[in-house]
Order: sequence, then structure tokens, then C-alpha cells
Amino acid sequence: MHYTLRFEWMGMVFDIPTLIMMVVTTLIVIWLILRLTRNLQSGVPGKGQNFLEWIVDFVRGIAGQFMDTKTAFRFIGLGVALILYILIGNWLGLATNVMTAHHNTADQQASESFIKLITISGTEEAELAKREIVMEELTSQDPNSHGVVVAWWKSPTAAPSVTFALAFVVLLYSHIIGIQKSFGGWAKHTLLNPLHILEEFVIKPLTLPLRLFGNIFAGEILIAFLLSLGVLGSIPLFVWLGYSVFVGAVQAYIFTTLTMVYISQQANDQH
Amino acid sequence: MLDLGAVSLEWGSMLTQAIVFLILLWVVNKYAMGPLMAVMEKRRQHVENEISSAERNRQEAEALLAEQRKVLDEARAESKAIIDRAVKQASDEAAKIVAEAQAATESMKAGAKAELAREVEKAKAELRGELTSISVLLASKIIEKELDEASQKSTVDKFLAQVGDRL
Repeated sequence: MHYTLRFEWMGMVFDIPTLIMMVVTTLIVIWLILRLTRNLQSGVPGKGQNFLEWIVDFVRGIAGQFMDTKTAFRFIGLGVALILYILIGNWLGLATNVMTAHHNTADQQASESFIKLITISGTEEAELAKREIVMEELTSQDPNSHGVVVAWWKSPTAAPSVTFALAFVVLLYSHIIGIQKSFGGWAKHTLLNPLHILEEFVIKPLTLPLRLFGNIFAGEILIAFLLSLGVLGSIPLFVWLGYSVFVGAVQAYIFTTLTMVYISQQANDQH
Repeated sequence: MLDLGAVSLEWGSMLTQAIVFLILLWVVNKYAMGPLMAVMEKRRQHVENEISSAERNRQEAEALLAEQRKVLDEARAESKAIIDRAVKQASDEAAKIVAEAQAATESMKAGAKAELAREVEKAKAELRGELTSISVLLASKIIEKELDEASQKSTVDKFLAQVGDRL
């Protein structure tokens, strides 16, 4: 079983590998954006600018399906940020996985602070239960045991915290747009119909992040499984890695598209 | 937080992700979308201008072409008229020259005929004169030889008779 390092701050739990990955992904996207926007030309664009313009046109095309051109224009930045962040996040976990295995041996003991970090679970009982399992795995004499494995490098989008946070941000944004447009219209449409309450506050906040998380997480689980098979798993692994590249792109596209749909439902006239 | 072993939802991570994403969004909008959109808009306008100016140029060219065509047609018609006129003038001239020549010929022919007639007449008159003098000569010779008293007497008598009748 894989463990992860966490710390607690102001009553909230933070997952260190997830934080690392979200920062890495964000830095890559920012680096890419800054690189591609160097030497902007209004004439014939260079290679980088051309690529970025292609992405912008792609996102504009997605947004334009659900909104008129002028409204869609306002959300292109959001769409570009989302699609690049999710796409690169999805692909980062495919390129490589960094894990560390920890054993308690005669000359090396896992430190108390390390055990503390990997057992943080929010509640006292959960931590104690986890600590028992961890201690058992650390001291396991079974030669097949990998000890305590910590995953450092993975897709940020394979962590539900990330996908839920992204989904909440865009859904909150869509509701803000609806309220700004007409509070009465938004309240009438969103709060008065039980089906719409269910849709807006349960279905959308669950389906949007879980779809992305599920696809990427399942992909990583299968990669880990195929890796554990060794030589036998090498051919299926390559096939699955190729497919995962495709899935990563499709999920980024779907997340962005659904975001535009949800925003358009609020930005367009309520029906 | 929600912890299901491998899958967990941590408030801290979520909050961090939300903040990180907002920062990313801000950077993307400030450093990429703003300048890029401005550039794309500028290009769009440039292309639009080019298209409209191309359209304008085309219309101008068409108008010019039509005008040129009209001028050419006019020039062609004019040159045709000039040639026609010249041809007509030349043929008129030729006809006139021929007519004049014919007239001159006619008059020369008539003159020659008249001259000829006159010469014939003159010759005839000369001949007649000569003939008269010859006949007079001949008659005088005959008369000289044959005239006698008797015949002269009768002639004088006859003459005297006639004169006497008139008196």
C-alpha cells in the first residue's frame, strides 16, 4: 500500500506530494505560457505563438458552442488555464513515478516525525489505527513486503482534493456569474426547484471532479499494477500508457467543456 | 478530511489547489490572454482591412477596366468612321477623276470630229470652187467656140421681151 506524507496547519490537513505536484504543474503551465508568448507578432506568428493561438482558438471553439462570441470571450482565459493545467497534470503522472520505500532495519530506523507525517488522518482514532499498520509494515520480515512506500510524483489530478478544488472553483464562479447577472433569476432557477437544487449542489459538484479523478486515478492504479508484473506487464503497460495519453487529453477536454456548459447555463438567459 | 486509504480529501490541499489555480488563472490572463488577445485582435483587424481594401481595389480596377473598354470601343468606332470616310472620299475622287477624264476625252473626240467635218467641208468648198472655175473656164471655151449670131440674137430677144413685159 502507498502512503503519503501530510502535515496539519490551522486545523487543516495538507498532502505534501499533492502540494508538490500542483506547484510543479502550475510552474510548468506558467513557464509554457511565458515561453509561448515571447515575441508576440500581430503579423505571421512564430511556432510557439501559433501553438498557443491554436489552443486559444480551440478553447474559443468549445466556449462558442454554448455562448455567443462576446460572452465566450470572457471565459477563454479560464478555459486555457483549465485545459493546460489538467492536461499537463494528467500527463505528468504518466511520464514517471517517484516512490520511496521505507523499512526499519537494524541500522536504520524510520524517525518518529516521518511516522507522524504519514499517519496524519485528521482524527485521533484513524491516526492510531493507521500507525499500527505502518509499524507492522515497517518492521515486516516478509521478503515480499515492499515496506512503507511513499509516492512522491504522481498526477495531481489523481488526487481528489485537486479535482474537487478545481470543480468547486469553477462551479462557484458559475454561480457568481448567475447571481451577478440577476439574483432573482438565479434564485428562482436554482433554489425553487428540488431537481435543480439536487443538480446544482449535489450532482454537478460530484460528477465533475469525480469523472476526472476516477479516470486518472484508475489509470495510475493500472500502471502501478502493470509495473508490479515486471516483464510480463511491459507490453500491456506500453499500450496502456499510450491510451492514458489519450484519456488524459480527453478528460482535460471534457472538464473544460463541462465548465463552459455550466458557466453558459448561468451566463445565458435562464430558461 | 475524508480518508479512504489511497483516496482522501484534505481541506488543506483543496484550499491550496484553489489558491494555486487562482494564481495560475491570474498569470494566464495577465501574461498570456491579454497580450495574445490584443495581438490576435490586431491581426483580425489587419486582415479585415486588407480584405476590404482588396475589395475596394478590385472594384476600382473593374471600373477602370470598364472605362478603358469604353474608350477603346469609342476609339475603334472613330477609327472605323475615319477609314470609311477616307475610303468614300478616295472612291469619290477616283470617280471624279474618271468622269473628268471621260469628259475630256469626249470633248476632245467632239473637237476632233468637228475639225474633221470642217476640213471636209473646207475641202468640199475648195473643190466646189475649183470645179466652178473649171466649169466656167470650160463653158467659156465652149461658148467662145459655139456662140453665133443667131443663138445670141434669140437670147437677146428673149431677154428684151422679158424686160419689156416688166416695163
